[in-house]
Amino acid sequence: MKRREAQRLRVGVDTGGTFTDFVFQVNGRLRIFKLASTPADPSSAIIEGLRRIARETGARWREIEVVHGTTVGTNALLQRRGARTALVTTAGFEDVLAIGRQARPALYNLNAVRPAPLVPDGLRFGVRERVTASGEILEALDERALASLVKKLKTARVESIAVSLLFSFVRPEHERRIADALAALGVPLSVSHKILPEYREYERTSTVTINAYLQPLMGTYLSRLKNHAPRLRVMQSSGGSISAAAAAEEPVRTILSGPAGGVVGALRAARAIGVEKIITFDMGGTSTDVALCESQGMRMTNEATLAGLPVAIPVMEIHTVGAGGGSIARVDEGGSLRVGPESAGADPGPACYGRSLLPTVTDANLVLGRFGGAGLLGGEFVLDEERALQALNGLAREMSAAARRRIDAREAALGLISVVNTGMERALRVISVERGHDPREFALVPFGGAGGLHAVELARALRIPRIIAPTEAGALSALGALASDVVKDWSRTVMLEATSSNRAKILAAFSEMEHTARAALRREGFGEARQRHERTLAARYKGQSFELEIKWTPGVNLVAAFHRAHRARYGYAQEANRVEIVSARLRSTGIVERLKLRRAGRAARKGVIAPPHDYAPVHFADAARRAAIYRRDELPRGARLRSPCIVTEYSSTTLIPPAARASVDIYGNLIIEP
Amino acid sequence: MKRLQQRRQPRSFDPTTLEIYRALYTSVAEEMGITLRRTAFSPNIKERRDYSCAIFDRAGRVIAQGDHMPVHLGSMPMAVAAALREIEIKRGDVIALNDPFAGGTHLPDVTLISGVYEEGTGDGGRGSGAGEEGTSGLRFSLTPGPHPLFYVANRAHHADIGGATPGSMGMAADVYGEGLRIPPVRIMRGGEISEDVLRLLLANVRGTIERRADFEAQIGSLKTGAARLLEIVARRGERDALEYASHLISYSSRMMRRTIASIPDGEYAAEDALDDDGITDKMVPVRVRVMIKGERARVDFSGSAPQVAGAINAVEAITVSAVSYVFRCLIGTDVPASAGLMEPIEVIAPRGTVVNAVHPASVAGGNVETSQRIVDALFAALAQALPQKIPAASQGTMNNLTIGGIDPRTGAEFAYYETVAGGMGARPALDGMSAVHTHMTNSLN
Repeated sequence: MKRREAQRLRVGVDTGGTFTDFVFQVNGRLRIFKLASTPADPSSAIIEGLRRIARETGARWREIEVVHGTTVGTNALLQRRGARTALVTTAGFEDVLAIGRQARPALYNLNAVRPAPLVPDGLRFGVRERVTASGEILEALDERALASLVKKLKTARVESIAVSLLFSFVRPEHERRIADALAALGVPLSVSHKILPEYREYERTSTVTINAYLQPLMGTYLSRLKNHAPRLRVMQSSGGSISAAAAAEEPVRTILSGPAGGVVGALRAARAIGVEKIITFDMGGTSTDVALCESQGMRMTNEATLAGLPVAIPVMEIHTVGAGGGSIARVDEGGSLRVGPESAGADPGPACYGRSLLPTVTDANLVLGRFGGAGLLGGEFVLDEERALQALNGLAREMSAAARRRIDAREAALGLISVVNTGMERALRVISVERGHDPREFALVPFGGAGGLHAVELARALRIPRIIAPTEAGALSALGALASDVVKDWSRTVMLEATSSNRAKILAAFSEMEHTARAALRREGFGEARQRHERTLAARYKGQSFELEIKWTPGVNLVAAFHRAHRARYGYAQEANRVEIVSARLRSTGIVERLKLRRAGRAARKGVIAPPHDYAPVHFADAARRAAIYRRDELPRGARLRSPCIVTEYSSTTLIPPAARASVDIYGNLIIEP
Repeated sequence: MKRLQQRRQPRSFDPTTLEIYRALYTSVAEEMGITLRRTAFSPNIKERRDYSCAIFDRAGRVIAQGDHMPVHLGSMPMAVAAALREIEIKRGDVIALNDPFAGGTHLPDVTLISGVYEEGTGDGGRGSGAGEEGTSGLRFSLTPGPHPLFYVANRAHHADIGGATPGSMGMAADVYGEGLRIPPVRIMRGGEISEDVLRLLLANVRGTIERRADFEAQIGSLKTGAARLLEIVARRGERDALEYASHLISYSSRMMRRTIASIPDGEYAAEDALDDDGITDKMVPVRVRVMIKGERARVDFSGSAPQVAGAINAVEAITVSAVSYVFRCLIGTDVPASAGLMEPIEVIAPRGTVVNAVHPASVAGGNVETSQRIVDALFAALAQALPQKIPAASQGTMNNLTIGGIDPRTGAEFAYYETVAGGMGARPALDGMSAVHTHMTNSLN
């Protein structure tokens, strides 16, 4: 019995910049630990962790199922360490990657530079062929041209090849023939009609090229890992996991692997207590990620960019701003207090790390007493308060000169926090109000090292009525990976007017995709009962360029549903206009076994106020107050907290200012009414 | 209008609050742009983003603009000034204009303006949810209130505005041949579309369905801007919001004065020329003298060619935009494009020249060709003062392409417009970029 249990052991693993997090469930209890990451080869830390889990549980560790959130692809792209890649495209379109959308990246910066194309000049090959927008062959692909292409690519000694022809999503046969001919070269191929059969050739070509650029590296990494953990799955950017084989084939799907795990983890924590609509707020050292989940789950976008390059596959709509704990404050020449985008990073780090005198967000929080005297990582990392004060004094002097009155370090620190919060608020508005969502219907879920310090103030600014600060906030990405379902997205451009006579065609597109999807999930071991297939349509008014997603249900009135969606998002509808269905999209889910949530250890008597661990002075906008200090692992479930208070734990800190009400739920989450 | 000019010097400010308002006001202008792009119909607006959005104080001074089209930068305030001169903008009114000789640039650029009026009900809760009101999407609420708190405006390049050639960018010899000239008129009155005005407009342009939809998208974008500004007022108070709008204008002006002070005092002259005006073979010179003295600059275009018969005449708004753009580039950090930027700069553009054409000159190309050459001439002058900062001349054009006529498959009229990128001049320590839009434009393809 024990043996069989052990064989089903599943582990969530998330590789971060500093730590690799492990989460697994044994005997109904969730276990979490962290190991130092091994950036040179991230698999070393993972293998070490798996060995440790095997030792502790007695599981045969080669049988452990691993779900992995990885930054291997992301980092390779950011640092331009990918493969020597060639691009094959329609003759005359070789420079689509270099021209892009021809806009310059910054309007008033005379020294701006655009990122160079992933494929250099000499490796972009045009082939004579042409398919029209409506799918006729204007110029046939010539066999001799094909033979000469193969020869050219052979001498170019490339490590991977992207193939992206004009209008191949309407008629893929030329792409197929090219792919068949190139197979002989024995290098990984990325073919556009398979990866992204949708219009907009620059974005499609960019996506397919990124895929090819990452294929060799990701293939090597995952196969090395698979030698140790044969049952390996990888988190993809859309929030589900895919098999290691699929991830090696289409690594572009993993570029937001880590952050997507965080959102899934946050959603799982919220759903466990019956909350479906959440806004996640992950504030780290140099950047902050925010995302919004509706009742149907996370929002997707196909307009993401990474390292300045468009990625047009569906990814979770995660909005990132370049501000975090390490962002540096200064007063500019016009007297305005700026925070970021420059960051002190981990080295030299904020002033309180002891190596610089740069006034950062972390220093401001420290000077205001908001860490509760605990330091970081449960006190393993001591913060130098003197230095932080010295840095803030410097900033205060600059501010005093601009304001022509005396401003002290505390006031400077409060100002710094308001400015950084304004930036965070802006990010939260982009994903909520600007998309037609009312923040008052959502709960805010903060995580990451600094999320909890800013959450209440942000919730107040946006009138978000509830904050859920989840347990295990420091390992939420790994937890999300563990909890994530197996998800595969399919799409097809259909370009049909939304009329009843076209319903049959739309249905046919869906059935065809679903047929393939069912077979694929069966192969991965999901019986019919554990499969779910959701159909959506990307639609727009005829004449528009951007689509809105609407759900397909058997009886749905597409036109009415679209008018409603347009009104919700943009404030008006054009009832007289025709509605056009651009793509049919299918999301197929293989449902994994649910994690059983552990209830937090002991229970408090109902409504009892938990006794604080300590008290310390904390500065708020109006005054300094004596705040209670709680240690998160000492809090019994059901307890109410004094306010103001600070809740400290291993990898994060939560600030609960005066007038906010906080309690602990049955799973150990902090529930805060701002 | 004079009486509304700032009554007192803005008092001291708080650096933190200033920064917060900088972010708030800029994001309103950006969000107006997002709404416009997402809902517009013509490729030139939705894909190429040939538009600009801005917010103004009640005196018509610009507070912030989105980072959209530089050529609109200095000229949007002139459009708002022209509208305020002619029409009292009441609650629920939207003014449209494109007259190059009264606040416009060239005819395809149509500017829409509306006032932002305080809500009467004091329902502070209505702020956060866009589209809460559901059915009457294009209606402003009509509760009473005496004066607008702000104005919001956007300008979009319509793919056709009538005239002899599809795309309205042809070689007409006067402005009448270029298309429909719209003085400030109410396209919306009291919250309702003025169907009379709209029908008159649409009867004179190609692609009426697309044009109408683009106007509606522009109105939707104004509505977004107004709602966001009212939220700011509801949260931070009217007095604070208006006072910091003034502080932001002074802030931009301080930044500009510091920038000018860092340029060595002196007089720097340069000359560039357009090859010809398309009608005769004569060169059309643009001459500029930049005088820097302390914190102030004077930019004098005296000696530039008299206005010409071909459609390359720039109106004053364009010349001011070009000057504003060039100096804005020298600041080196993101500063709100507010009225303060031009405060320390004086522009002298003699009337009746290619840099300040008067009625009835044809002007379609002044916006897209001459504006680029004005920038090149300005940079050539400033390069003598700042050789380490200034790039070499760029392509000096926007490469305009218009296609239009009757679609043989459907029998419907169509018009299409785009500009094509080119090379950027080398920087002192860097190559120039290839295949980019330079200087006065930054549209996409």
